[in-house]
Amino acid sequence: MAELTAFSYRAGFSIVHSIDARFKLLLLVIIGVSGLKASPAGLLFLFIFVLSGLIHAGIRLRDLFEELRLFLCFLLFIFVIRAFSADGTGLIKIYSISLFTGGLKEGLLICLKLLVMALLGLLFVTTTRMLEIKAAIEWILKPFPFAAGNRISTMTGLMMRFIPVILEKAKETSDAQKARCIENRKNPLYRMVKFAIPLLGRTFNNAGRIAVAMEARCYSDTRTGYKLSSKKNDWIMLFAVILICMATIVYL
Amino acid sequence: MNIIEINNLSHRFSNGFPGLDGINLSVKKGEFIVIAGRNGSGKTTLLRHLNALLLPTSGTVRIDGVSVQDDPVRARRIVGMVFQDSDSQIVCETVREDVAFGPENLCLERDEIEKRVSEALTVTGLSGLADAGPHILSGGEKRRLAIAGVLAMMPEVLVFDEPFSNLDYPGTRDVLMQITGLHRAGRTIFVTTHDLEKIIAHAGRLLIMEKGKIARDGIPEKVISGVETFGVKEPYFPRMGFERVSWLS
Repeated sequence: MAELTAFSYRAGFSIVHSIDARFKLLLLVIIGVSGLKASPAGLLFLFIFVLSGLIHAGIRLRDLFEELRLFLCFLLFIFVIRAFSADGTGLIKIYSISLFTGGLKEGLLICLKLLVMALLGLLFVTTTRMLEIKAAIEWILKPFPFAAGNRISTMTGLMMRFIPVILEKAKETSDAQKARCIENRKNPLYRMVKFAIPLLGRTFNNAGRIAVAMEARCYSDTRTGYKLSSKKNDWIMLFAVILICMATIVYL
Repeated sequence: MNIIEINNLSHRFSNGFPGLDGINLSVKKGEFIVIAGRNGSGKTTLLRHLNALLLPTSGTVRIDGVSVQDDPVRARRIVGMVFQDSDSQIVCETVREDVAFGPENLCLERDEIEKRVSEALTVTGLSGLADAGPHILSGGEKRRLAIAGVLAMMPEVLVFDEPFSNLDYPGTRDVLMQITGLHRAGRTIFVTTHDLEKIIAHAGRLLIMEKGKIARDGIPEKVISGVETFGVKEPYFPRMGFERVSWLS
């Protein structure tokens, strides 16, 4: 069974879990922007701050590493590229390629910024139920008459719901093709076409069946939505995070 | 009064293929009807007319006295449908949210929605999985979730399209238990199947469909003999001269 844990909600009773989804989105933006403005020490502080939030929310460091394994490889790639390409004092010279101190610092900084962003996103997704995210999207889009908030939120929800199903179908298609020795065909384009066409066909068929099933359950644009309500704790958290972010930018 | 009244119903698909041809059917409240027939005989097409997912090319379908064409939303509220592929029926990210999907579409108050969700989860034995993602459920649990999603809309008629397909023995028994329980609670039940053995012990009426028409209609003991000519495997009991035996016994 396909499971995409990086994008899935984990039930819990932490402070982060209890914050209103709209406040969480706002906090996400505030910490994200602070990360862009912060010095290396400030960035390190924000990284520890967000990491503490994840641990407090009940995410184990080992799981976190598992989830972000591929992303960490990507960061390593960026770090290596930056380290060998930026200016500064040369540290080591391998043949005609030099490793620079400026590159090392710059690489570390970029990687840390990206890592803070990724952890923030993970913290948001793992502590917020999709129901609340959808309600928050609807609330944010309410002032814009041209944006159908309820439709956009339903589409977002459906997308999150069906990512694991599509991945499962992709694996089934891939296994079925391996069972018929597709690996003996060396042309990657041929393999890609033979993989994509049945997968897309099945996905579109599935989309048709979902539409019929939703119709059978009386789906329409007018429906009872999830009621979001802000509490005193949400405001306290908002002001605390604003103060922490300002102090990080000013003093660190 | 009949809860379902179908008169001279015919349906032709957009490619010209005739799906149903002159169906006449009356169903009383609380009946348990099994519909069998080979692939393409029109079983699912017939069921989809009961909640206006398909509309008649000619003829009428009346649910509790009102034509489905006049008020399709009412028809969908009265006739709840559990589809063959549960994965396509489950549209939300958690079990609880999915059960709430139907009542939310009916624009009910939040308290009423919560009450219905809680009841449906209890009836289907899914309370312990309320916050789980549907993708981690087993086949039987997914089928039960699909049933819970429909139950929360409180329909009087429940329509099950091939409810036992792709289920193992425990999963089949679970779903069978749900269906018989709902019938005992007074619901009108429709079940389509290729495999009569699993369900026939509970049916009060058996319909055999062939080429978009009702070929046979009556109590199972009278109708079942020779069903193999219609592409349906004859159950064990009539051939051996036994009584009908439930899979739950």
